Amino acid sequence: MSKRDQLISQIRRNLSEVENDLMDNALAGRVDRRGFLAHGTRLGLSLPLLGTLAGAMGMGGVRPARAAGPSGGTLRVAMTMPAGAIDPVTIADDGGLMMAMQTAEYLCTLNPDYTLKPVLATSWSPNTDGTVWTFKIRQGVKFTNGQPMNADAVIASVERLVNPKNGSNALSAFAGVLSPGHSQKIDDYTVAFHLDAANGNFPYVLSSDNYNLVILPANYTGGFEQSFIGTGPFKLEKYIPKTGASFVRNDDYWGPKALLDRTEFTFYADMQPQVLALQGGQVDMLAQMPVFEGRAIIDNPQFNIISCKSSAHEQVHMQCDAGPFKDKRVRQALALSINRAALVRGLFQGHADVGNDSPFCKAFPSTDLSVPQREQDLKKARALLEQAGVGGGFSVTLTTEQFLEIPDYAVLIQAFAKKIGIDINLHIESQDAYYGKAVPGQSDWLDVPLGITDYGNRGVPNVFLNAPLTSKGTWNAARFHNPTYDGLVADYVKALDLTGQRAVSGKIEELLLDETPIIFGYFYNYIYATSKAVSGLPAIGDRPFLQTVSISQS
Amino acid sequence: MGLYRAILYRLMLAVITLWLLSVIVFAGCQILPGDVGRAILGPFADARAVAALNHQLGVDRPLLAQYWSWITGMLRGNMGMSYTYRAPVAPFIGHALVNSLKLAGIAFVLVVPLGILGGVVAALKVNTWIDRTIVIAGLSATVVPEFVSGIVFIMVFSIWLRVFPLTATPPANAGVFTQIYYLLMPSIPLFMILFGYIARMARAGMIEALTSDYTRTAVLKGLSYRQVIWRHVLRNALLPTITVIATQCGYLIGGLVVVETLFNYHGIGSLIFAAAKAKDFPMLAAGILVIGVVYVGANLIADLLYSALNPRISFGGRE
Repeated sequence: MSKRDQLISQIRRNLSEVENDLMDNALAGRVDRRGFLAHGTRLGLSLPLLGTLAGAMGMGGVRPARAAGPSGGTLRVAMTMPAGAIDPVTIADDGGLMMAMQTAEYLCTLNPDYTLKPVLATSWSPNTDGTVWTFKIRQGVKFTNGQPMNADAVIASVERLVNPKNGSNALSAFAGVLSPGHSQKIDDYTVAFHLDAANGNFPYVLSSDNYNLVILPANYTGGFEQSFIGTGPFKLEKYIPKTGASFVRNDDYWGPKALLDRTEFTFYADMQPQVLALQGGQVDMLAQMPVFEGRAIIDNPQFNIISCKSSAHEQVHMQCDAGPFKDKRVRQALALSINRAALVRGLFQGHADVGNDSPFCKAFPSTDLSVPQREQDLKKARALLEQAGVGGGFSVTLTTEQFLEIPDYAVLIQAFAKKIGIDINLHIESQDAYYGKAVPGQSDWLDVPLGITDYGNRGVPNVFLNAPLTSKGTWNAARFHNPTYDGLVADYVKALDLTGQRAVSGKIEELLLDETPIIFGYFYNYIYATSKAVSGLPAIGDRPFLQTVSISQS
Repeated sequence: MGLYRAILYRLMLAVITLWLLSVIVFAGCQILPGDVGRAILGPFADARAVAALNHQLGVDRPLLAQYWSWITGMLRGNMGMSYTYRAPVAPFIGHALVNSLKLAGIAFVLVVPLGILGGVVAALKVNTWIDRTIVIAGLSATVVPEFVSGIVFIMVFSIWLRVFPLTATPPANAGVFTQIYYLLMPSIPLFMILFGYIARMARAGMIEALTSDYTRTAVLKGLSYRQVIWRHVLRNALLPTITVIATQCGYLIGGLVVVETLFNYHGIGSLIFAAAKAKDFPMLAAGILVIGVVYVGANLIADLLYSALNPRISFGGRE
């Protein structure tokens, strides 16, 4: 037995069945380093341990932390104006989230490779069937007002979001996962969560993925804007609604101290002035820059462009129960008419991945990559329309929202569809009009035969698999009802190990390719743009953690 | 006496106008799709959470009750609480109004004298190259939208030449001159839009007055050119221009959403635009009423100026 094998088997003896399954997959080469780390952290194994194992298995160790840049200085950030009061319970917009996460922290956060990084939780583990998850809470952490951060604070923060009386924006994320009163204090630094149903990806529900879940003091009742209370690497200097905010380094921070002395945020109502502000040297960083609004600088070598892989996408749904798309061959035909590589180039200048008509994007370790990619095939598309009895083509309206690149996407779909004889009329309306009351009968989104809807980044595909596609899904605009699919998703959600998840994910991908209720044309990257003076920003889409950022003073 | 009665009458009309405006704004907010809770929490929030938030904000009460509590608050001088910011509306409106008045003031000070001067010069040199230049330049400038001219100015003066700041918002505690410096560039697109309009009105009024009988009479009775222009022509020629300027005051205060957005300036235009998007009725209504007050006030002043300049018009009207 080589030294390497001795090391591995020594460690394996202390691992659970689920953890050893991951090891089997890794040793058999069925999971790459990235997937190994992602699943390992989800199971609560520490990154150093995983790094050792990955190294022993020849996957290469965990990359050493980036060399720290110079400390000190003020980083000036341009960002989109928060939509309203900064209240972690209700925030639903990037601007509000950006503010809350400056001072408040999560139990764990997403790493660039979709692994989870322990923050206020130090470790977590499931019981054998994944119905109870136990989280260990970091000790010795205090809020900026001196109160201790402990199990009580964690439970109160979760209960606040789970309680339907609080108008919490995270309620939909917890629906069917965790009910009020099911978070149990084991001791001051241990919390057990008793789930509504087995869930292999539960730690993601308690991570930065569920962006409302920052940990606040147990007695928090509102008024976050006054104190910006939290445990984070920065603390509030000044906040002026609709104008901007500034933060200073928290010298009492429990972890590695922030490198910057100060951060200064300016709010903008629109993206274009932000790009101009970066060009004019008035700010050092753009907190978020959609590709189509940043064309002026995205290829300009004067700026750093940090492009982060994500699972964010637009769903083109086709109603499966009535109308022109009732026949799945028609749905397949429309999907086959689309040139996905052209979308990625044209809409994102390459900052996106093609989609394969399922929520499983390349970023998720559980994605079964052996399922063949759907490519443009106009001949086959025309033949399918012929077989479905609509060889002469038909006409249909595509309804969607005025948001990001979606109107351009709609125009491209219209052009592709025309090649196979489908005549698409575009109806592009405001987001308010498109989403309406967000219930069937009072929402264009959920009522139209053909529509495009935006979905933000998630660390695991659970939400994408459930709400828009299962029979009971609340966002099922495609009106897709398929008991086989529902069963597969239930199996996927339950599966604790990668083998189990991958066995199901391949079947889900194939089923969705065949049925094609939704076209997933692409998954686009999140982009940060900074001046050349800025370094150390981790490539985590939509969550710019500034703790490790530094700025050179020249 | 007639003048005071006239002013009182105008003020009463103004109050009724503003009340009607508040009813229309309130009704408009109800017609807009979606509701406040949904606007705050977004389309993907759980329906129970939306209902709970709507209840907290009081927007699930009957419409009449909502309107009643708002209008009675307003009468007591309480503008209400913003739904989205969950804070009193008044400081937001006050801050934005002061900003808007500053920007409008600078644009006004630039464009009114220059616009009138341009129109007068064009009329005095009618059909010469000077006249044509002023008319064509004014017209061309008017048709360039603010977001085009604004971006061009930013690119040229802020990014290439770096002589003007990119934003209209000066640093905190800036002095008067610094504030003017920050507001100069944003006021140029406004200048461009209004200059041609005012100049053309002034020019048309001047030409009409110059060819009128009373001007001929004045010239014939031997007054000097200067006296004819100042005493007789200008007074009559500028009357329509004053009306035009007054009607533009509402735009200058509340209609600058594009310029405010581009130069990241927090004026009342972008405030009510954001409030309308978020269905934040108290904020929207207060903002619109403030603009309404400015508009009514500007027109009242215009009417008074009108009567001062034109002795044929007097209030009370029985003479």
